[in-house]
Parts: sequence; C-alpha cells; structure tokens
Amino acid sequence: MKERENRKFIIPILLVFCLLGFAVFSVARRISEEMSRSAIENLEESLKLIRNTIEAVYNEEAGFQKMLAAELAAMEEPENFILAYNRNKTMVKLSLVPAGETQGVSNTGEAFSAEELDFSKGYTIGDLPISKSYVNSMGAWAYTMECPVIRDGEEIAKFYVEYIYESLEDVLPDKLYNGSASIFVMDSDSQRLVLKPKNGVERSAGNVNLEDFYRGNNILEEDIQNEVARCIQNGKNILFYHDIQGKASLIYMWAVNEGSVYLIGFVPIEAIQREGSAVNQNILIVVIIMLAAFFLCCGVYFFNERQQARIRKEQEIEREIYSQQLAEALQAAQIANQSKTTFLSNMSHDIRTPMNAILGFTTLLAKDADSPDKVHEYTKKITTSSQHLLSLINDVLDVSKIESGKVVLTLGEFTLNDLVSSVDAIIRPAAKARRQEFHVSVKGVLNEYLVGDETRLNQILINLLSNAVKYTQEGGSIWFRIIGLPQRSSQYEHIRIEVEDNGYGMTPEYLVTIFDAFTRAENSTTNKVQGTGLGMAITKNIVELMGGTIDVTSQEGVGSLFIVELELRIPDREIDEQFWAKYKISRILAVDDEEDARKNIQVLIENAGIRADTASGMEEAMALLRAERAQGRDYRVILLDYKLPGVNGIELARIIREEIGDSAIILLLTSYDWEGVEEEALNAGIDGFLAKPFFVSALKEKILELQRKDSGAHDPKDQGEMVSIRGLHFLAAEDNEINAEILLELFEIEEATCEVMENGRLVVERFMRALPGEFDAVLMDVQMPVMNGYEATRAIRALDREDAKTIPIIAMTANAFAEDVRDAINAGMNAHVAKPIDMELLKKTVNQFL
Amino acid sequence: MDLEEAGMKQTWKSWIIGLTAASLLLAMAACGQKKSGINLVEDDGGEKTTVNFFGPLGRSDPDSGNVAVSAQERTIKMAEEQLNAKMDYRTYMAEDHTEKTYDDVVLDRIHNNMDDLYLLNPDTIQILGEEGELVDLSSLENTANLRDVVRTANTVNGKLVAIPQEVVAYGLFINRDMFEQYQLDPPNTPEEFLECCRVFKENGIETPVGANRWWLECFVLAHAYAQLYNGGDTQEQVQDLNSGKIKYSDLLRPGFEFLQELIDEGYIDAKTALTYEAIDGEGPDFLAQKTPMVMAYWAAANSDALYGKPDFSMEVIGFPSSYGQMPVLSISGYGVNTDGENREMAMKMLDIMLSDEALKMYTEINRVISPSKNVDVECIDALKPLKQRINEGVYVLGSNASMKVEQWGNLCLVVRKLMDGASVEECLAEFDQLQQESLEK
Repeated sequence: MKERENRKFIIPILLVFCLLGFAVFSVARRISEEMSRSAIENLEESLKLIRNTIEAVYNEEAGFQKMLAAELAAMEEPENFILAYNRNKTMVKLSLVPAGETQGVSNTGEAFSAEELDFSKGYTIGDLPISKSYVNSMGAWAYTMECPVIRDGEEIAKFYVEYIYESLEDVLPDKLYNGSASIFVMDSDSQRLVLKPKNGVERSAGNVNLEDFYRGNNILEEDIQNEVARCIQNGKNILFYHDIQGKASLIYMWAVNEGSVYLIGFVPIEAIQREGSAVNQNILIVVIIMLAAFFLCCGVYFFNERQQARIRKEQEIEREIYSQQLAEALQAAQIANQSKTTFLSNMSHDIRTPMNAILGFTTLLAKDADSPDKVHEYTKKITTSSQHLLSLINDVLDVSKIESGKVVLTLGEFTLNDLVSSVDAIIRPAAKARRQEFHVSVKGVLNEYLVGDETRLNQILINLLSNAVKYTQEGGSIWFRIIGLPQRSSQYEHIRIEVEDNGYGMTPEYLVTIFDAFTRAENSTTNKVQGTGLGMAITKNIVELMGGTIDVTSQEGVGSLFIVELELRIPDREIDEQFWAKYKISRILAVDDEEDARKNIQVLIENAGIRADTASGMEEAMALLRAERAQGRDYRVILLDYKLPGVNGIELARIIREEIGDSAIILLLTSYDWEGVEEEALNAGIDGFLAKPFFVSALKEKILELQRKDSGAHDPKDQGEMVSIRGLHFLAAEDNEINAEILLELFEIEEATCEVMENGRLVVERFMRALPGEFDAVLMDVQMPVMNGYEATRAIRALDREDAKTIPIIAMTANAFAEDVRDAINAGMNAHVAKPIDMELLKKTVNQFL
Repeated sequence: MDLEEAGMKQTWKSWIIGLTAASLLLAMAACGQKKSGINLVEDDGGEKTTVNFFGPLGRSDPDSGNVAVSAQERTIKMAEEQLNAKMDYRTYMAEDHTEKTYDDVVLDRIHNNMDDLYLLNPDTIQILGEEGELVDLSSLENTANLRDVVRTANTVNGKLVAIPQEVVAYGLFINRDMFEQYQLDPPNTPEEFLECCRVFKENGIETPVGANRWWLECFVLAHAYAQLYNGGDTQEQVQDLNSGKIKYSDLLRPGFEFLQELIDEGYIDAKTALTYEAIDGEGPDFLAQKTPMVMAYWAAANSDALYGKPDFSMEVIGFPSSYGQMPVLSISGYGVNTDGENREMAMKMLDIMLSDEALKMYTEINRVISPSKNVDVECIDALKPLKQRINEGVYVLGSNASMKVEQWGNLCLVVRKLMDGASVEECLAEFDQLQQESLEK
C-alpha cells in the first residue's frame, strides 16, 4: 500500500525531471550551436584581419620598392646606390640587373643573378612578381619581388628586393585563443612552412611543410588532402573539422595575396567555444544546485516523515506495552481474586475442619464427661486441632503483614549452631515420625557467628524443611545443607542453604506459582497434607527482605531442591582467646574420615584462633598424638567421628585413653542419636557427644557443660524441668470472661492463685490497694476497655511505691508480633507471652523474674 | 523541551547556517569577477626582454611525447620565470638532403646576427669558436660544476664556447633476441663485429647494420681514436696532431678501412644510407627486426617515439674497437652569439638552464648523462652496458675543440664521400689536407 503511494509520488517527479532535463538540454544545445557559429565567424574575422595585415605589409613593401625603382631610374649610377645600401630588418638584400644582362649587383657586394629565383608561378603583389620562398644567405626564409626600373618609358634594369618572413613575425598573434591555436605561414608554391609562431610550436604537430603538417596532425584522409590541394590551387580558403591529438579541432588554411602564401593552423573546438562551454557549465551548475536543493528538501521531508513514523511506532509499542501490562494486571487481579476465592474456600475448609473437630469433641466431651479415658483422648484431639488452627491463623496474619510491608527484621547476633540445632530439634522428630532420613551438613562456612534475624531465618528453614517432610513420602530422605560460598566482601558471609528431598516433586505449572500466596500443591497424594498455602510466599518475602534469593527446581516423582542464598554480616567480635586460655586449650585433634568434614572443622577451629590438626583414621590420629607427646605437648580436646574406617570412634577413644590417660577431653561427633551407645561410649572414656555438623560454639558449650559437671554445678537445662509457680499469687488483667476463667483454672492446676481484673484501670487500682509483696507478678492483657495494658503498666510503674518499679509485669496478649513485644517492653513490662497461653512458657518466663 | 527536541533544533540550526553560508559563498563567487577601475587592460608589467633562441626543434608542451624537448622547455621556463624575460623560438629543419642543413643555417644566421642563443652541433661549435662568434661562457656561475670531458670538448682557444644540457653518448643499439637466435655475443672488436655481420648476412639478413647519413663516422672514431683517448697520452697526441707531428691519416686509417670493409661486404647499404635522415631512415627496419643493429644516441633509448618501446630485447653497447666496446661521446651545446642583440640576457638565462637544479630536472626526465658533476640518475637496463663503459672512463670524443681540425662535422662529410664511392685513400688525403690547412692558419 505504502509502496504504491510512493510510486504515485515518484512518477510525477520523474516526469517533471525528464521535462526539465529535456528543456535544459535543448537550451544548452541551442546556446552551444549559436556560440559555435559565432566562434567560427570570430575565427574567420581573426584570419581575415591577419590576412589583410600581411597583404597591407606586402603592398607597403611593393609600393616602397616601386618608389625606390623610380628613384633608381632617376639616378645616373644606380649601382652605387645599391652597393651603398645597408640592409634593414625588412629589406635584407637589394639587387639590380641591368636590362639585357643576366648578372647584376647586390648590396652584399656579390654578383646577383635572377636565374637563382623562381617567378614561374606568376604570383604578384600589386603588379610586382613575387618569387617562390627560399632560405637565404642569412639562414632565414625569404622571398624576392621584382620591379622594373623605367627611365623615359624604357626599362633600363630590374630591381630585386629580398624580404624575410621573420619581419612578419609581429603580425602573427602571440596568443590566439589563449595560445591554444597555432598559426603558420606557408608558401603555397613550395608548401614549406616559412614562418612559425615565435612562441614556438610543437615539433610533433609538423612544422616543416604541408606534408609534415598532415603527418604530424594525422590528417591522412585523401579526400581532405585533395580538397585542400584544390583550394590551394585556386587560391581559396578552406576550413574543416578534424581531430588533432585526440581533440576535435578546426583546421584552417587561409589564402593571403590571392594564394601566394597561406595562413595554416588549427584550434581545438573547446578553445573557440569556451564561452559556450562556460554558459553550459553555468547552466549545469544551476541545474545541479537546483537538483541538490530539491533532493535536500526531499531528504528533509523524508527524514521528518521517518522521524514521525518512528515516533508513531514507538507510541504504538508503548501503547501495546501498556495494554499488555493492563491485561497482565487484570489477569493477575483475576488470578489473585480467584486465588483469594480459592483461599477462602480452603480457609473455610481448613478452619472448619479443626473447628469441627473441636466442637465435635467438645460435644463428645460433654457426653462422655464421666469417662476419664475418653476425656483424656478428646482433650488431646481438641488440643491438636487447636494448635493447627493457631498455626493457620499465625500464617494468615504473617502474610497480611508482609504484604502490607510492616515486617521489620530484628537483627541480632546468633550462631549457626543454634540455628541448626533448633531446626534439627523440630524437623528430626517430624522426619523420624515419617520414617524419613534427615541429613544435615555444613560445608565451607568460615564464620558461624553471624548477624541476622534468627527468628525469621528459623521460620524460613522450618517452612522449607517442614514442607520437605510433608511432601515426601514415608521412608524418603531429606537433605539440609549449609554451604559457604566465596565471600564478596570480607564483612559478609555468603551462604547457600539447600533443602532437598526425594519426595513427590512438583509440576512445572505449579512451580511457576509456588511463591504466590494462597496457592497449594494439590493432587491425590498431597490432598492429605494440611497447610495454608502461605508458607512459601512468606518464605520468599522474608528471603527477599533479607536481600537474598530463593530458587526451586523440582521434578514430579523425583523430588525438589530449594536453594536460598543469603549474605549475612559477620559481627565485629574479637576472637575469644580468653575462653581457650582459661581451659588451656591450644590445639585440637579432629578425626573424621570425610575430607569435607575435616576441612570444615579445621576452618572453624582455626577461625576461633586455635590450631586444629585433623586425621582421617586411627593410624594418622595416633601418629599425630605421639608426635605431640614426643614434643611434650598434648591435645586438650580430641574430636572423634563415630563412623571411622576399620575402627569406630568409641574403640578409637578407648585406644587413645590407654595412650594418653585423662589428659584430654574426648568428644564423639555423630549425627545419630547417641542414646543407644551412650553407656558404651562413656565406658570407653568419651566425655560427651557433639551433634554433627560441627560448630565451635557447640564445642564451647560442651566444654562448659563438662566443666560444670566436674565442678558439681547444675545444667540450666535441667533446672527447666524443675520450673514451677506453685504458691505464687498473680494479679491479671483480662477483659474476656472465658479467658479469665481459663486462666484461673490453669493457675489452679499449677497450684497458684490469681486475681483477675476486667480492665487496666482496675488493675492499677487493685495494685495501689495491695500490700507490698501481696502479688508476685502482674499478667497484663493489652487490649482492654477503659485503660489498655500499656497505659496500665506505665501507671503502675509511675506509682510511688517501692514495688511499683520492681514487680514483674508480663504482657499476656494476643498481640503477638515483634513490634508488640517491643511496645510492651517500652511501656515498662518485663516480658511478653503470646496468647493462647502456653503454661510451660509462662512458667519459664515468670521464673526468670522471681 | 526534552533532549531529543533540543537535538532536533540544533540539527535544524546547523542546516540553516550551512545553507546560508553556501548561498553567501555562491553570491560572492558570482560577484567576484567584477573588475575595479575604468581601464580594463591588464597590466603585464611592461615589455619583457626577449631572447631569440634558434634550435632544431620547436617548443613543446610538457605533455608532449618528445621528452627531450619537454625537459629543455622546462629549464627555459625556469629561466623565464626567474629573470622575468621571454625566449622566442626559431627553428629550421631541412625537408630533405638536398636542402641546406641545420648546421648550414646556423652558420648563416649567426654570421648575420639573427639570434642570441643557439643550440649547436660539435662541428659548428668548433667553427664558430675559431671564428670568435661565440661568447666565452667561463664566467657563468654554474660552469664550476661541469665535468672535465665537457670542458675539454668545448674549449676553443682557451675559451669555453658552448655548454650542453646533456652529454650525448652514441652507441650501437642491438636486437638481443636476434643475436641470441644466431647464438652470437655482442661484439667487442672489429673482427668480432665482422663475424657477427657475416653470420647475419648468411642467414638472409641483407643489411646487418642500419645506417643514415649522419652517424656512420662513429665506427671510424671508435676504432681509430680508441688508443688516442684511452692510451694515457691524449694531450701529447693532440698536440702532435695540432703541430703536424702525427698525420690524421695515420690515426684514422684503420677506422676508414674497417668502414670500407663493412661497405664492401655489403653489411652497410651506403648508397641508401646516404639519403637517410637519422632514425627516420633506418629506424623502422630496426624496430621491425629486419636489421639487428643501428647507431643512435643515448636519449633515443628513452623515447617511446624512437627506440624506447621495441618489441624485442634491446641493448645499447659501444662501437667495436681494439679496446673493446667503445662509446662515442659527442658534446653539443648552447652557444651565445657574440653580437647578439640580447647577449647579456641570453647568458643569464643559459646560466639558470645549466644550474644543478635545472640539470637535475632535465636529467631525471630524460634519464641521460648530465654535464654536471653533481647530477647523476639511474638509467634504464638497456643502457647499462654503455653507461658501465663510460663510468669506467672508456670512451672516445666525437668532437674535440682542442684539435685544430674539427672532427665531428668534417668526419661526417668525409665519411659521406666514402659512402658515395670515394676510396679510403682519398678520404684520408682529404683529412691530411684539412690538417695542412689548419697548420697554415
């Protein structure tokens, strides 16, 4: 279409150009022809002028000769006049031959005979005969005129005067047609070129005679030569075109003195048509300029068009992008809407399911209240359903918080050991329950002390690993790896967390939406799995909040691999040299058959500032031990892997004990439960167990534990089992009657007492009235009518009583986020316990402050 | 206004400025032709002094095929520009051998003071030098650079009367392909030369040596004067010749006899050669490979119009002599008429034409031997055998102004008589006669 439009546009332009070209050509040609005609006329005029000048000179010479002849006739002895004559540039020789004699005298003094001259052609100047041209005694081309000397009507002598052609030099123009035209004088009788331009002429142009002229200028056509001969014979002029040295030229032969001599030569056409050429060139220049201007305008027009087209195209593309984005947004909204619908449907199902269980079992409980076994069973099931319901609510709240951008990371120092241990403690039993193998490994990590939000990291790992447990069939395997990557900055540890399983895997379609909220992999196999479908969305958001990345690869029926990469800041901490010095530990021996494990242990220990030697087996370990002993040193700590080639860790411990006695702490590294081998190990001289993967912090804790054991101190963990609130009296704020009742019942179970107030003001008033030490602690709900928990706390703390500042106030609220904890602390509370109340946690918390 | 818009505006501005500038330029060019003042005649700076120069060839343009004239022309232009003078040309060339020769016309013209500057052949230099018609050019600044051979050849009665723009070396131009065809080596001695001619003749080549009426004396000169110029006692022998102690006939006899033998054996067609002008006559046969050998001057090998573009492998060697291949050096030259109207300007122009700068240009264009000691250029391969001999100092002079008897012209005339049927004895007697006349002067 566009091409056709262009063609429509081009055809008229071409037509205009053709017409314009034809017009310019016609005008130029006409000018050229007219100028050419004018130039030829001009040339003819020039030749006529030269001819007339030469003829005038001839006539002058003839006239003067006649006058001299008359003078001679009057003289008594004319010979004396002749002999006395000094030649001049024109008349170079004067001779007188008396009538009836053949010889006479010359002014040169030599005898003169007219027989040497040839007057046979009968050419005359005026009426005086002129001889054929010849080279005279001066070496110059010359001619002689004969004039009778008549006295009293009788011819008494003949008077001869010799003239040289060189005297006519000035008649020939120096620069005819700017020097490009040549002009010779040719004697028509001898056809010799008797006068040549004094500014010279090319020898190659032929300057000897007419034949040489023909040869030199390549005029070989017989018809031309014949025509020239005929014209010369008849004393006529001839002008003809011929190429001379490759240039179109005009050759002229112009008769002078009725053809006794000829002006011959040539001029290139371009020289005589210079003006015409100049006019044509100027026309051409104007045409070129006009064309250039036209094409420039066209160029500008097309350039502008192109720019406009480009802009239009860009706008179209932009519009398309917007449309696409809108469509995508619409689709996303639709999907989100659909997801939310699905989610609500799921929620309805997922909430109703445990609620149904709770309500159902409550009904059953009411019915079977008399049967303690059934009550026990029903309450257990109610508890399970309630816990599931709680986790469901927690996730939903977490997602809504993340999506509204309210999540704030709480950074703090933590150890990888704690992280791995806590995760291991949760996941391993779950995996074990499903008879799954759970493998944990740490490799290439240089720093185990890191700064980050441990709780959220924990949440990530739990989400990934609990999914792995959930979506892996019974008897499957789960791998949890922490791998140290090359550091990008010395201040950050770059780690990769891999969670791999050989479970059900996911479909490619699901993989695309796995990190979207409210989605859940569903099929006949996984339908049995309960979940909110929010875990992965929460995980991805937290990872990204931490500046990390999360990727997943999965194949249905083969398994899944989640990879999280994070950069966690390394805390500015000094190497804890004092710890090692205190326990006189300067070197540690680690025996493990796995090279990666050995390297990991060595790196971590050496980063802690002490030396680590590693051995792969018994022989190597013993050799190292002996070498140390030989130098009077001992390893203070020896780490033995349980699984060693040939001999296991326990046996090796026994051998080492025999060798070194009790000089070192021997710890068994194992990723298995050690309960089965504990007794055997202790008997073999092993001091304790360390869970794999190895961490220095775990080692330090273990050393401290052993030292405490040696000194008879109790393990705080053991103390936890003894926590109790028996006999304590609490003041509690709770506006919900049911919750208040539950609280009273729970405290009663724990043999503690509690006074419950309906709002914060009542709590404050009650505390004001209380005797010092009447209450051991205050349990403060936050959201209450009249006065909320924070205000109440501030009011209590502001009271002018001694115990107002010291009494522990513990937030006990359903506001369970980190910022709620922070707000509680800021309000003056000592701790925060989230609802629903976990009595064990409450007891531990209370005990911390009492 | 965003950046793109600003860029567009800038482009438009550039276009407008460019178009305005172009229009102004055109307008200025259109108006620039106008002349100021009332008198439209261009002032040519007054009349220039004009020197009349008489030479055998006309003026040529720089693109002309005849490089010799072109090079000469450039040196003349150089002189014209430096001196703000003008040189007018007059030339003469005989139509045929019946007319006056160039040398005859030169003598006539200089005797009648027709011109100021002449290009002279060696014989006319000798004659005019003796007559005192030529100015002593020793005073010219650039004569200090001349080679000794040039000075020797053109000094008459202690006066340096002519100076050339090139040292003309004559040699034997041979068709190497034809020599190889008949398994012949380039001849060194007269005997070897005769043998080569015999072989060519026997193989059907009618005239092994192409000749004209000008240059056959080179055979005589090379053979006869080989010992004179290469024997180590040149000065003494010349003095003995000038004093009549040695007769020319004794020296020239072997050369004439050798030439006579060549004519007698039919190796040279003397009668025809007598009617030939140089190169015009024998040249076409040589180029057509009908004749394996011709005589010519150095520059003929460089000129495409002459022997510069043969269809065969050509080599230029010296003439046969008892001293081996012998180049014949003929020193022509420019002479200034003692009574010339513009004698002083002619000398000034000649001085510039003979400067090292001018001679370098001339020599590079023509690839000839320069008369200046300071100028030397590489020659074409064909000329290398001849140049090698000259560089070795082996050559004979075609003309020697220190000899009382003029050599180049007289020998040319006497050789013509030999060609015309005179005997060797008659020719030698004529030379003895010339020697006698010189002794009587």
